[in-house]
Amino acid sequence: MSARRGPGRWLRPLAAVSGGLVVVLTALLIADGVAERLRVARESDRFEALEQAVLSDASRAEELAGEREVQTARTMARQERNRAFAWTLLAASAAFLAAVEGGRLLGAPGAARPASAGPQGEALVQLRPPRAVAAGPPAAAGAEPELAFVDEVVAARGASREAAIPILQALQNHYRYLPEAALRRVCELTESTPAEIAGVASFYARFRRTPVGAHLVQVCQGTACHVAGSGPVLDELRRRLEIPPGSDSDVGLRFTLDPVNCLGCCSLAPVMMVDDRVAGRLTPTSACQALAAAEAGP
Amino acid sequence: MTAPLERPAATPLEVRLGMGSCGIANGAEPVWEALRSGAREAGREGVVKAVGCGGSCHREPLVEVVAGEDRSLYTHVTPEMVPVILRRHVVPRGWPARLRWAARRLRDPEEPRPESGPRSLGARIVLENCGEIDPRSLEEYRRRGGYAALEACLDPARRDGVIATLTESGLRGRGGAGFPTGRKWALARRQPAPKYVVCNGDEGDPGAFMDRLVLESDPHRVVEGLAIAALAVGAEEGFFYIRSEYPQAVRRIAEALRQAEAGGFLGDDVRGSGERLRLAVREGAGAFVCGEETALIASLEGRRGMPRLRPPYPVESGFRGRPTVVNNVETLANVPWILRHGAAAFARLGSAGSKGTKVFALAGKVRHGGLVEVAMGITVARIVEELGGGVAPGRRFKAVLLGGPSGGCLPAELAHTPVDFEALARTGAIMGSGGLVVLDDRDCMVDIARYFLRFTCGESCGKCTFCRIGTRRMLEILDRLCEGEGRQGDLEALAELADRVGRTSLCGLGQTAPNPVLTALRYFRDEFEAHLHERRCPAGKCAALVTYTINDRCIGCTLCAQACPVDAIAYRPYEIHEIDDAACVRCDACREACLDDAVEVH
Ligand SMILES: Cc1cc2nc3c(=O)[nH]c(=O)nc-3n(C[C@H](O)[C@H](O)[C@H](O)COP(=O)(O)O)c2cc1C
Ligand code: FES
Repeated sequence: MSARRGPGRWLRPLAAVSGGLVVVLTALLIADGVAERLRVARESDRFEALEQAVLSDASRAEELAGEREVQTARTMARQERNRAFAWTLLAASAAFLAAVEGGRLLGAPGAARPASAGPQGEALVQLRPPRAVAAGPPAAAGAEPELAFVDEVVAARGASREAAIPILQALQNHYRYLPEAALRRVCELTESTPAEIAGVASFYARFRRTPVGAHLVQVCQGTACHVAGSGPVLDELRRRLEIPPGSDSDVGLRFTLDPVNCLGCCSLAPVMMVDDRVAGRLTPTSACQALAAAEAGP
Repeated sequence: MTAPLERPAATPLEVRLGMGSCGIANGAEPVWEALRSGAREAGREGVVKAVGCGGSCHREPLVEVVAGEDRSLYTHVTPEMVPVILRRHVVPRGWPARLRWAARRLRDPEEPRPESGPRSLGARIVLENCGEIDPRSLEEYRRRGGYAALEACLDPARRDGVIATLTESGLRGRGGAGFPTGRKWALARRQPAPKYVVCNGDEGDPGAFMDRLVLESDPHRVVEGLAIAALAVGAEEGFFYIRSEYPQAVRRIAEALRQAEAGGFLGDDVRGSGERLRLAVREGAGAFVCGEETALIASLEGRRGMPRLRPPYPVESGFRGRPTVVNNVETLANVPWILRHGAAAFARLGSAGSKGTKVFALAGKVRHGGLVEVAMGITVARIVEELGGGVAPGRRFKAVLLGGPSGGCLPAELAHTPVDFEALARTGAIMGSGGLVVLDDRDCMVDIARYFLRFTCGESCGKCTFCRIGTRRMLEILDRLCEGEGRQGDLEALAELADRVGRTSLCGLGQTAPNPVLTALRYFRDEFEAHLHERRCPAGKCAALVTYTINDRCIGCTLCAQACPVDAIAYRPYEIHEIDDAACVRCDACREACLDDAVEVH
């Protein structure tokens, strides 16, 4: 039993009580029906007998009127009671059904969750509410990164100019972007001058100088993806994530969109890569769903 | 039907699954798990094998069952289909298991139907092993004749023959320019040591993935090719320069280098011959221009990837100022085959000036995308129609884009042009590295021209004025045309700028950047004029020039309203819907969603 919290807690007793009521009331009504048959037969016999008697003996008219009075009152009372029973029965059945169905929807065992949302499935596609920053590894904005890693990398790769690009690649893999402080440290440790490092870091598209969101989304804008409609996919993602013009990440730094030239999966166009998973044959809607899935975790 | 139970146990059986990055993207990983556990259940774990991609990317995940000459290929395999496939072919170990499987086979659903094998026209040279062998196994590559050519080259007497053989075979560079490989190596051989060799795996053309697939699926072949190049020209050190968007290719090559070193094919004493050979992998960092050989070398040296003036060519002065041979992945993948089969076998294939085969990456509006290998001289139309299955039903094949941003378009009327360096160059397009993007009647040539220009403009390294600013001016004109704001004289200005950019740029990027525009203008001028004079996009693509409307075929199913991302369609069940043109962003979502063809674009 998974749904033991919140409203789910009350569902089981409610189902038991209402179910019990339904059984009891149904039994009562049936019993009453049977009793009624027997009684009606008996009473109408008595009434007919009295009628016959009144025909021959007018003094018994009083008695007949009394009998009529009693029988009418009894029938009325019974109707009244049965109506109450019937209403209670209806309410109890409704409560029982609600309790059982509610339990299923809240994920009681053996119950299927509602299938993944359709085109309008806002619950899944909803990417809007900016939550607190899910800080990616050491890339949390503002914080000074630890620099011991730079020393390690330079020690492993050597200090020559030729090693500059592999070093920056290792740094980018580690910090997920190139922090200013790390670049300065590289200049201190290697033969490269600050101008050279800045030049290299700005020339190549893969090097980022600003922190990256919790999820990096590489949206292919290659030829095959372009003709298959990658433009609308990118537009829609920007719209849904409410990415401000001129920026590549949403305000909460949850997603960073990185348009790339070709991911080499052109037969699946349009393609994007969310972190390290490829999603292909995208439509604007399925792209948003893929991001929502990535955010929900594996 | 009962064949599997009768097959003699000695016939080696292999169940292969394509696990290239395209296969994984198509969902091969769960299929792999299912195969492994099925094989384990049968007590025959050895039969399953992860291979690369044979080129049929559009039907992955692909499972192929091979028993001797018998091959059955299953396409679009899901984990649920796996047990059925295994029960059909694999004989489990032990009688209890056999009986159990036989019993279960009786209840198997309709058996998945095997399909026909890999796609190629003419011959399979470069893709010979792709999808056949486990790319992570040196042993398997060797069993198929791998490294035999390299071992032969270790004999100094035969080494001299390598360059002659290549020259005789007529192999020309597959990186785009088509320079004869034998000649390039001969030039380098005459230079003084130390020298370097580089495998160009930058594959910058967006929409092409031949090199990725070969690197991932048959890495040892490329390693062998580069090692032979090094021996033939007398280099002791070499690099693989692979773009960073291809992480699996980088991993595979690094792994292959380690294995080759362990096997003695690389290192300080190659197979006891006393030769020294060191190869290493370098990753690109996302710059298209680094595919150009001088820029690539600058990048290897740790600098900004700026091309420089040639001559001197890299074969005279390249990496560290030393003679350097730069060759494309596919070029190198051809080398071991040529040395094993002889120059004549290679030269028999192809046309007068272009020998051998060419691998194309079919993509775009073609129905069966993926890699195909064809003998040179076969027409583009046959590639698109026979191997690619043509365009979707109801659409019209309009053009192909060849050679990416450096190439151009080849209209359907010229699709009978053979695949041949010179024949393609005469049309204004180029052979390029093998990207072949098919367009149909819904693609706008002005939009395509603008797309490529935006690409080259963004990738220009900025060294040459015309390449830096000229491409921007051209892009502005194309942007105007697509926005319906074209001005008188724009087309003439475009042609004039194209001419200048091409003539005054230093490297191939700028020299070829105008090609897509020039070919589009040449073959589809009417579309440019429709944009300019009538403010109309005949293909219905350019957002600013089209309006979306809903006709009376609408049945009020509300799918379009649900699909609309900007709520430009009011939700009105059972009524004909309407699009609010002011709110519409032309994302095409409603047309895609509509099942009744009720959304019209004008
Ligand atoms: C802008 C530009 C981009 C290039 N991109 C590539 C590429 O991605 N891959 C490649 O192999 N060659 C590329 N080349 C061609 C290389 O400069 C060089 O000619 C080629 O690697 C030589 O190898 P090959 O003789 O085997 O063809 C490019 C050239 C230019 C001008
Ligand atoms: S064009 Fe997008 S993956 Fe190649």
